[in-house]
Amino acid sequence: MTQVKPLRKLDDLLDSRLMSKLDAIDVMSRKIFSGKLQGERRSRRRGQSVEFADFRPYVHGDDLRFVDWNIFGRLDKLFLKMFLEEEDLSLVIAVDTSASMRVGNPDAFDYARRVAMALGYVGLVNQHRVSLVGFSQGRVERASNLRGRRKAADIAQWLLTLEPEGASGFEEAMRLVGTSRSGRGVMIVLSDFLFPEGFEKGLSMVAGRGFDLFALQVLAPQVVDPTREGGVTGDLLLVDSETGVETEITVTPELLRLYRDRLDRLCGALRGYCTRRDIVHMVVESSTPVETLMLEYLRRRGLLR
Amino acid sequence: MMASVLISAGTIASVSMPLEAVRQSTPISSAILDLPVLLAVTWVTPVAGAVLGASILAPLVALWFLKLRRRRRIVSSTLLWTRSLADLRANTPFQRIRFSWLLVLQILAVIAIALALAQPEAEGFGSSGGRHVILVDRSASMNTVESTSDSGEELSEPTTRLALAKLAAKERVSELLGGGWFSARASEVMVVAFGSRAEIRAPFTDSVSALEAAIDSINPTDESTQLAEAMQLSRAFTSELNRNDARGEIADIPAERPPTIELYSDGRIADLASLALREGEGVLYHRVGNAERNLAVVAVSAERPPDSADRVQVFAAVLNPRSEPAKVTLQLAINGTVRSVTPEPIAIPAASNIDGQFVPGRAQVVFRPIEQPTDAAIEVAIVEDDALRDDDSALIIVPPAKRLSLLHVGSDGFLVRTLLEGLPVERFVSMSLAEFDALAAAGGTAGYDVVVLDGVAPKVLPSGCYLALGAAPPVEGLTVFGGHEGVYPRVARDEHPLFRSASIDELFVSKLVAIQPDKRFEILAESAEGPMIVALDRSDLHLVYVAFDPLDSNWPFQRSFVNFIANAIDHLGRAGDSVIGRSLVPGEAIAFRLPAGSRDGEIELPDGSKTACAIDADGNLTWGPVQLAGLHRIGFTPPGGGARESRLVGVNIGDADEARIDPLESLDIGTTQVQGISVAESRRGALWPWVLFAGLLLVLIEWWSYQRQIRV
Repeated sequence: MTQVKPLRKLDDLLDSRLMSKLDAIDVMSRKIFSGKLQGERRSRRRGQSVEFADFRPYVHGDDLRFVDWNIFGRLDKLFLKMFLEEEDLSLVIAVDTSASMRVGNPDAFDYARRVAMALGYVGLVNQHRVSLVGFSQGRVERASNLRGRRKAADIAQWLLTLEPEGASGFEEAMRLVGTSRSGRGVMIVLSDFLFPEGFEKGLSMVAGRGFDLFALQVLAPQVVDPTREGGVTGDLLLVDSETGVETEITVTPELLRLYRDRLDRLCGALRGYCTRRDIVHMVVESSTPVETLMLEYLRRRGLLR
Repeated sequence: MMASVLISAGTIASVSMPLEAVRQSTPISSAILDLPVLLAVTWVTPVAGAVLGASILAPLVALWFLKLRRRRRIVSSTLLWTRSLADLRANTPFQRIRFSWLLVLQILAVIAIALALAQPEAEGFGSSGGRHVILVDRSASMNTVESTSDSGEELSEPTTRLALAKLAAKERVSELLGGGWFSARASEVMVVAFGSRAEIRAPFTDSVSALEAAIDSINPTDESTQLAEAMQLSRAFTSELNRNDARGEIADIPAERPPTIELYSDGRIADLASLALREGEGVLYHRVGNAERNLAVVAVSAERPPDSADRVQVFAAVLNPRSEPAKVTLQLAINGTVRSVTPEPIAIPAASNIDGQFVPGRAQVVFRPIEQPTDAAIEVAIVEDDALRDDDSALIIVPPAKRLSLLHVGSDGFLVRTLLEGLPVERFVSMSLAEFDALAAAGGTAGYDVVVLDGVAPKVLPSGCYLALGAAPPVEGLTVFGGHEGVYPRVARDEHPLFRSASIDELFVSKLVAIQPDKRFEILAESAEGPMIVALDRSDLHLVYVAFDPLDSNWPFQRSFVNFIANAIDHLGRAGDSVIGRSLVPGEAIAFRLPAGSRDGEIELPDGSKTACAIDADGNLTWGPVQLAGLHRIGFTPPGGGARESRLVGVNIGDADEARIDPLESLDIGTTQVQGISVAESRRGALWPWVLFAGLLLVLIEWWSYQRQIRV
């Protein structure tokens, strides 16, 4: 069994080679959001960018600097020039820190942290406002409003301090994120979505609240195929990593078939739910190289460009 | 396997034990004995089976309580597994059962093991628990040579029925006492060999080696088959004396649980009709043999024609017990040399059933007279081979041509004297009583072979042979105490040579001398009032006494009177000869008189073996019972030493029942019909090991299938 090197520093999360490749890409939102700060993204707001948007009659109190004096000379009326505002993009990366993410080889938690680091880096490089949320049962950790390349180390440090434990608490975490957002934008949820209570309520907390939502379902290879190296065979006592519930099984082809059916059904349900809510759903195995994910899969799905 | 068990059990159709016996010997099975199919299935060791079942069930149930030691494996979530298991397992009491070969195999294995625990045995085998008495038939018919087994398979070499029976009996002993799990309930077994007489070869024991040695020691005989004595012997060992009987009588009462009697025989048992089973007594009839073809010489006689004493004419009777007619060639051998063969095969009609009575086909053969002035052993034999050779020949010993010297005593006995004068004798003398007393006093009676005392009683009776009529002779052991009038004979020894062609059924005696003979006398005929004709065979005295004067009866008007007198003269005249004219049948004893002072007796049996026999001071020799048919030669040293002399005794089977060798399918003992089990079936024996093996095989296949299924 191949042992994955534990993550201890920024390079472990994101090496410089991938970092240089990520410099050239940006997060793409399928929606146009209002930002808080002037940024590099076109905003719904009319603002101070060079890109002309429209005219409107001057009203009292308007900034006289935006009056089009040429029009006033011809028409003798005051018109205000309106430009497209360029604002920053809010990028929220939610990482599932429940114990279930720690299982597998390579485990989904490390993979999720590396993906979060890569996405966060892309956001920082493109002057977006990056927020990170780590959630598990009764515990929501946040790193909010990070901006600029220099903050990459902060993100790394924050990610490295995360430790998976307990149940997911997905619904509660999403409720917090949805109600206390500091700006609309793109939200990426990195989780295995193996929640006993279901994912629907949690997703519904953020799906209808102005986020361009991406559900990245990270699964360990042994979850996708239990017979893989280090998987289950024979008579086993399965222990749930989150709840501690024990289940006795005897692995038979029939049982495996049923398990795979169940997993397909779960993923299918998630996919269906996401499709209905305009959420992008994507399943990724934790054995997939992060570079491949970032540069190929996510670009293909429209999250990055 | 299961199906075959039920089918074979179903075809047996009857039990080999009385139902009550089965119930008592197999308590566990009694609850289901009413089912006809299961009647044939016997639970051999119910207690052992229950113990074994419990010992298997206990760990089996315990296994259900024990948890399998499983490897712990932490998974992200058991959610999917739990739901998958729920799909796999039945989670509602009533759901459509899913077909699974594992389930089928498990059910079959459980059924097979359950059946094996019940220990079914083929063809109605009896219980192996409790005590068993093995009765081995060693009669003449058991010497039938079988070339095929009961199941029709060719035997490696021809084997007698007795050998097959012994083999089967030994296997049965091993089965009952062989040890192991299923013989845990040790039986005790007794071995009894029987023919015309029964003999305990091994009392109740659980020693297999002792029982096998006892069975091995059973030798073949040519006796008839009488089961009563064997049954009595076995009962004697299993009954208890009730000394506290209310009437103060000592009576034997059956033991609490009667033994199972296991009979190894061909079923041709002469006294079967007189037997009855006691309450609870069970019999397993192990049928031995399947050969049928047999012809027998059942009678042979010889006589010297009155007009030509140097010649011998031989008569023989041949019997055919089969339902098809047969043809047979007979040969006549004298002292081992063939002297005559029937020119054409003799046709013997088939056996028939008349009014429910079996009547074998018979043919009488008369050989042409052969010159034989000296004594001889004459043998009539069937030339053709058949399954039972022992009854294919019959012997008769013919005395030398000898004319008797006869003395008649009694002046008034014209009737007897006239009759004696007509006999072909060498010398006939008639004298009065006084003359005889004088002659006896002078010791002159030795010159006469037979003395006829015609209504007179001499003072003394010197050594010799006497026929006394009317007046009681002065012999020790014969007491006279008056007389009776108007008597009829009630019982007569018809088979005695004196009564050959001399039936006294129509005899009436007006005056009978009342006598009381002691045990040395043989009563040949008696009336309700007392003995009428007695005989004494002592070393020095041979006497036939007719306790009435023929003139006081209607006998002189009957033909039997003449024949009787002639027979008596002939019989007495041959007494002490070097040959015994009368043939014996197996089971009888050889008993005759040699000259007083003879010693070193030795009998050479038909099989060539020799055995010593005692001769008392008076020269009386008794040996027996004889077991083999054929010529017995008794050698002895005469008084005063000198060359050894010999006497010949012929022993013939002569039993029509033994000639019927086709085995009986079932025995009717009293009101109980006992179905026979062939020895081959008995040998096939218990089915439970095969059923158990099948069950274990199914378990193995189930395990293999399971392993194959879980291999991923």
